Amino acid sequence: MAEIRVENAVKTFGKVVAVDHVNLTVHDQEFVVLLGPSGCGKTTLLRAIAGLGLVDSGRIMIGDRDVTYLPPKDRNISMVFQSYAIFPHMRVFDNIAFGLKMRRVPKDEIKRRVQAAAELLHIENFLDRYPSQMSGGQRQRVAVARAIAVHAEVLLMDEPLSNLDALLRLEMRAELKRLLAEIKATTIYVTHDQIEALSMGDRIAVMRDGKILQFDSPTKVYDMPADRFVAGFIGTPPMNFLEGQVRRQNGDVHVYIGDYALKPIPEMVETLRRYDGQLIVAGIRAENMEALSEPAEDALKVTVLVVEPLGSQNLLTIRIGSDIIKVATHPDFRAAPDQPIWIRFPADKIRWIDRDSGKALVPDLDRLVS
Amino acid sequence: MTTRALDPVQRRALRQRQLRRAGTYALATLIALWILLPIWLIGTMAFSTSRDIYAFPKQIAPIPFSTETMEFFLNQQGIMSATRNSILVALLTLVLSTLIATPAGYAISRYFFIGRDAFRLSVLAVRAFPIVILAVPLAVTFIEWGMYDRVYSVALMHTALTLPTTILVVSSVFTSVPREFEEAAKVFGCNAWQAFMRVVLPLVLPGIAASAIFTFVMSWNEVFAATLLTIRNRTLPALILYQLNKSSLQFQYAGGFFMLVPSLIFIFFIRRYLFNMWGQITK
Amino acid sequence: MQRLRLGLAPYLLILPSFIYLAVFFAWPMGRSLQLAFVRDSQILPVLSEPQEDADVVGRLPMQIEVAVVDRLKTEELLPNGRTRPVYWFKVVGEAENGDTIEGWVHQKNLFIKSRTESDTARVVSGEGAKEWTLDYIERMVNDYRFQEALKTTLLLIVLILPIQFVLAITMALVLQSRLRGNTLFLYIYAIPLGISDLAAGLVWVTIFTQRGYLNTFLQQLGLIDQPYIFLSADRQHWMIVAIVLAEVWRATSIVMVIVVSGLQAIPHEYLEAGELFGANLWQRLRHIILPLLKPSLQVALILRTILAFQVFAVVVAITGGRVLTVLAYETYRWYDPGDSGFNNPNMAAAYAGFIMLISLAFALVYLRTVRTQEEAARE
Repeated sequence: MAEIRVENAVKTFGKVVAVDHVNLTVHDQEFVVLLGPSGCGKTTLLRAIAGLGLVDSGRIMIGDRDVTYLPPKDRNISMVFQSYAIFPHMRVFDNIAFGLKMRRVPKDEIKRRVQAAAELLHIENFLDRYPSQMSGGQRQRVAVARAIAVHAEVLLMDEPLSNLDALLRLEMRAELKRLLAEIKATTIYVTHDQIEALSMGDRIAVMRDGKILQFDSPTKVYDMPADRFVAGFIGTPPMNFLEGQVRRQNGDVHVYIGDYALKPIPEMVETLRRYDGQLIVAGIRAENMEALSEPAEDALKVTVLVVEPLGSQNLLTIRIGSDIIKVATHPDFRAAPDQPIWIRFPADKIRWIDRDSGKALVPDLDRLVS
Repeated sequence: MTTRALDPVQRRALRQRQLRRAGTYALATLIALWILLPIWLIGTMAFSTSRDIYAFPKQIAPIPFSTETMEFFLNQQGIMSATRNSILVALLTLVLSTLIATPAGYAISRYFFIGRDAFRLSVLAVRAFPIVILAVPLAVTFIEWGMYDRVYSVALMHTALTLPTTILVVSSVFTSVPREFEEAAKVFGCNAWQAFMRVVLPLVLPGIAASAIFTFVMSWNEVFAATLLTIRNRTLPALILYQLNKSSLQFQYAGGFFMLVPSLIFIFFIRRYLFNMWGQITK
Repeated sequence: MQRLRLGLAPYLLILPSFIYLAVFFAWPMGRSLQLAFVRDSQILPVLSEPQEDADVVGRLPMQIEVAVVDRLKTEELLPNGRTRPVYWFKVVGEAENGDTIEGWVHQKNLFIKSRTESDTARVVSGEGAKEWTLDYIERMVNDYRFQEALKTTLLLIVLILPIQFVLAITMALVLQSRLRGNTLFLYIYAIPLGISDLAAGLVWVTIFTQRGYLNTFLQQLGLIDQPYIFLSADRQHWMIVAIVLAEVWRATSIVMVIVVSGLQAIPHEYLEAGELFGANLWQRLRHIILPLLKPSLQVALILRTILAFQVFAVVVAITGGRVLTVLAYETYRWYDPGDSGFNNPNMAAAYAGFIMLISLAFALVYLRTVRTQEEAARE
């Protein structure tokens, strides 16, 4: 049973606040991804959990033990480092066995567990090699094998795939996911690659400037971003933003983008009503808009700037007012630069964002309940 | 730090951390004392009165402070001219060594040519070699050539002593300037010489200056070859060594301290580059 | 033309240093061996016929008695057009290798009592010759001071190096732990790099001398009543202690710098991984740091050993060079033309050659080490 709880953790480097009052609870055997751009504090947070750097204040619990000031070896954790940190002077076997040897596990037990870990990662034939005789992908496997061989309750991974080339990363991603499901350790995985995060994590904690902005399942993070940063950070292409003005018209609320009126879903009406007359940001993903080559009712006429055929879809860049947005269409959809097309915005796919705070607006549940 | 009750395990872990940190500081300070204390003691002697020098037990600070001993030393016959010789030799060595080594260092760092590795390795081998031992045959040769007992012949010897190190240091300094800088300069219209003068030189100058200072210190300190190559035009260490057996304690203490002072100053200026100088041996 | 000039450029750039090292390194090295192994001498060629241009049948050494078996009187033309009588003698003598040699010799090379009557003569001159000799080496090896010097030098190496390496690694680890004031510590630890061996010796004289600091300290602790004389001829072990301390004090910094560079090359993650997988400080040192530091340690060890054969001024400062002697001091003493020296460059060269040989062996080991390391790094 190893739940990880970070309570009010703060870590500063000089004037830079790397981790800013972070609270995070990772359930037992859960796979949580810390996602964010470089310098957001995700690695610092991971290292604090590992015990490689102490927090300035706050508390870190693993299971029901307070480990805030314990050295790493007393935390019952394991880790895969970004550069793998596979010892170059030890054979693969000794690398994988390292943690076990330090824990004074009996010799035959070590042998058994190294073998098992190596087999899980398909490197059982390389045990006598030195790391210099292996490829980057194989070294990565050694690093993972070393981490899982110690059977720690908590497995920490610091951008483990970032040093692999694209193809290998894709392959390793799936394999890691399968493996981690199998070993049932509580896992925290740091990455800056949102696709990795979306595809692997049970939950994703999106970080920026030392704070966790959103901590949700991948679908929630993707579909219902908590704020403009998360919306813009996740997804390829990122979510589009359009500025519009809220106008009340005899009990109804519309958001006007130029002359074009967007009609929000009923659950949002109450919330939006408070923004009457103000500017607001509408966020919508490229694949959620409908592109038409003919005029249609409730479709907005726009001009295409760029067409990018991507095989599985065509990505159009279009201008609406002062905003540039991307629209994904079916690959058969015909469009050419400077040609007009028509776009339809499904109301349930629009996320409304406060222009000043950047926070996503939520349906006014209080109102609905009462 | 938040004030909250820590359980005993936490408290012990925290205390262990603090203890280890304190221990490291203590160790660091102890080693620093091991190096500084002897310097302080000879400094104390160098600035004590002659009565204090022969006193027992010894005082551990120069009280009363007196320049009597230093003056006695500096007024000894030949000390001033030997100091002048030493500075002259060191400066000549510095200039010669830097002038000859810089092109070679540049070549090793920037060009791939047949024999590059051989040249670099032979420079490495020469550096590992006890060059001062060459003083004996050089002295004999210098006598034959009429160059014996001259300031410049000591400088020639010292240049041979410092040249390999300087070549290696300079090459590592050049290597630390990305080749792209030079290429960019050339793309934007410099020829090779201009690219070197305008882009590379300003960047390597501090490193080369450090290596020059180190050359100076090596020459200033060198005693074996200087003693063998000179009779009347002694350098400072050579003179002190020669007179050691017939000299007073005042002479020895003041002389020791006087020779030591430049290193205190120079090492301060080049401390950042020390690893450049020796770190690259294994690379 | 451009391409050709580009190809030449590096060679032109290394040319000055190449020439310099050839003149002031390679050449004196050869000259040193020559001094140590070659003696100037004369040797008398014995000819088959009583003529200047006749074949040489053998050579006779100087100052031996030869039998005169025949003589020939001829005329020699002088520059002024006159002539004078000259004798050639047929002699039988023993060459250096024991062969008996018979042949003709000009009168100028022999000392003979009567040109017409004596039947023996002494060889007094010949032509100049360089002669290979092991005399100097033999004399050096049999000199009791050589053995003393070699013993002391080796003893110092054995005593100094282990202390130095432990201390240097400790210093490097302390610096590596990034204390506040790290740069200050680094500066202090590096100071001895710039201190000459002579100054270092004098520094330690202030401590070990009779009225010095060590005695002051011991007296204040109440361990002694009056100053103990450490540096006296019958307390050589104390001199050794003083030299060891002075050398450790002076020459550990260079090892420290090499070790720190080596440490810096070890990625921090290796140590963190060690820590994370449960290794304590000692285990990290043994299983991770030292193995990864091996290349740097090898290099430092070889360099330090070579330098240890040159230890000189420290010993002179502390012992006066008379009680304890080391190889470099013997070199100096044989060369020194002053009152206390022997003014014998050949013997000095023999000593220098000996140190060179040892150093050369180590330098080659060093090169091989570096090369293997470089190849390993390239993989």
